[in-house]
Amino acid sequence: MSADETVTRASEPFRPPGMGDAEGPGTVHIRKLVKSFGARKVLRDINLDVACGEVCCVIGPSGSGKSTLMRCIDGLEDIDSGVLKVNGEHLGYVEEETHFRALKRRQLRQQRTQIGMVFQQFNLFPNMTALENVTVGQVLVKRMPKAEAKERALSLLARVGLHGHEQHYPAQLSGGQQQRVAIARSLALDPKVMLFDEPTSALDPELVGDVLDVMKQLAGEGMTMMVATHEMGFAREVGDSLIFMADGYIVERGDPREVLANPKEARTQQFLRKVL
Amino acid sequence: MDPTEKPRIHHRAAHEYVVWVIGLLLFAGIAYTLVTNPRYEWSVIGRYLVASTVLKGLLLTVWMTLLVMLIATLLGLVVAVMRSSRVLPVRILAIGYINLFRGTPVLVQLILWFNIAALYPNIRLGIPFTSIGTALNTNALISATTAAIIGLSLNEAAYMSEIVRGGFNSVPKGQLEAADSLGMSEGMKLRRVIIPQSMPTIIPATGNQLTSMLKETSLVSVLGVGDLLQSVQLISARNYQVIPLLLVASIWYLVVSILLSYPQAKIEAHYDKSRRSVQAGAQELITDPTLLERAT
Ligand SMILES: Nc1ncnc2c1ncn2[C@@H]1O[C@H](COP(=O)(O)OP(=O)(O)O)[C@@H](O)[C@H]1O
Ligand SMILES: [Mg+2]
Repeated sequence: MSADETVTRASEPFRPPGMGDAEGPGTVHIRKLVKSFGARKVLRDINLDVACGEVCCVIGPSGSGKSTLMRCIDGLEDIDSGVLKVNGEHLGYVEEETHFRALKRRQLRQQRTQIGMVFQQFNLFPNMTALENVTVGQVLVKRMPKAEAKERALSLLARVGLHGHEQHYPAQLSGGQQQRVAIARSLALDPKVMLFDEPTSALDPELVGDVLDVMKQLAGEGMTMMVATHEMGFAREVGDSLIFMADGYIVERGDPREVLANPKEARTQQFLRKVL
Repeated sequence: MDPTEKPRIHHRAAHEYVVWVIGLLLFAGIAYTLVTNPRYEWSVIGRYLVASTVLKGLLLTVWMTLLVMLIATLLGLVVAVMRSSRVLPVRILAIGYINLFRGTPVLVQLILWFNIAALYPNIRLGIPFTSIGTALNTNALISATTAAIIGLSLNEAAYMSEIVRGGFNSVPKGQLEAADSLGMSEGMKLRRVIIPQSMPTIIPATGNQLTSMLKETSLVSVLGVGDLLQSVQLISARNYQVIPLLLVASIWYLVVSILLSYPQAKIEAHYDKSRRSVQAGAQELITDPTLLERAT
């Protein structure tokens, strides 16, 4: 019995038109994912496909499981059951005849480098300059020569609009600048999927735009992105698909403009009435 | 007079003057007795302060302190890492070590190490339960100084491991997640993220341990090791000038502990760079590329 066969019947995921491959690098494939903390089920039955190049926005009330879903997809949390494939590979496991066998930690780390994550609190390394933050992964993890890593880091920092801030420590940068360094740090490992967990929620309103611009640019370049956000304007403008989460379920999924304008589910309508 | 131009004047409160007077009287009293009491024997103190026996003892005390702290810090780091291992037996080993060495008096530990030959007359280096390896005579291997260094280091490592662990725990969880997300291994995380970020917590505590260790080494005089205390005691055993010679030792302990706190401040400043706020000068240097070029 293949895990995939049983579950594709369980749902008919929304497929935004004009998207790339649904399998392989740059895709996310989730079936019947369950995740609990202790006795508490936080993700109950998640089914989701994100195609290559798709920008999938994730909205929902606080505590609905958006962060947990992202963290599972980044391999930061181990899932209880279900199928979780990122970049076409089972994350952290190999599928055997009767079970999933955990990968060696080195192999999981290898998979993680293919997935970028941007955190709400930036989580830059405060003991390193902006430049070092962006080079450290390339040098340590990808074993890239220092000079080459530095060159790439400089161009990435320039790309996120931080030319001239290379030698600054995170404490010397504004929140918006820090978040853009964090994006550059993730991009440095050349990930095929980027996850953004409320990347602008900790920012002063006037700094949000710069970060969103970088994300828009990235989306325009065809990066597969999942973005948990409260920025409905961003979802409408950049999103290819939108999921609304509540109580650990994906309640509604569809075209962002469609869902935001005409939500079908009562739970979605109730949420959107509050935030729009 | 125009009230907007009137100066604002503050007076010292009356009790502040009283405290000044009491303080001055106290200092004067101490100075008076130090100078006039002949039993301090200042001439004796002055003579022995730089006597070669005393200086030799001082030297031993200082290098033993530094060596013990070095061993204890490295060993403490290892125990701290073991303490948070995923593997249960490793964790138990670390917890057992910490409890054993913190739970018994260091003086007792020192005497035990000094007499370890009574427990293990020979030490075999090799694989247990096989005939591979060689046996060595314990007494030949472990001199009083070695016993002192082993005893102090193992004891101190237990305390250092807890300090290191406290430092590790002070690193925010998000830092570890960011490192994980980049695919860093445990070793990389430790070297590049955890250790550098826990230094601001670890260094001040280690500095305190260093100054206590300086004084704790005086315990090794019971093993007959020629440290500072032992050397002044040997002299006073001959000339019966017990108090002046104890003061000689105290003066040296005081001087060295003050000197030791200086590098601590330096190192703290070094690890503070991550908290460094924007300084106008530094900022300029960084953002103006021509300035950087000129500097290099
Ligand atoms: N490490 C954890 N341990 C226990 N409960 C957790 C943990 N992380 C998240 N939760 C719980 O899971 C639920 C979903 O959290 P989260 O995914 O952060 O939601 P969101 O990001 O949508 O606000 C919350 O009720 C939260 O309290
Ligand atoms: Mg969240």
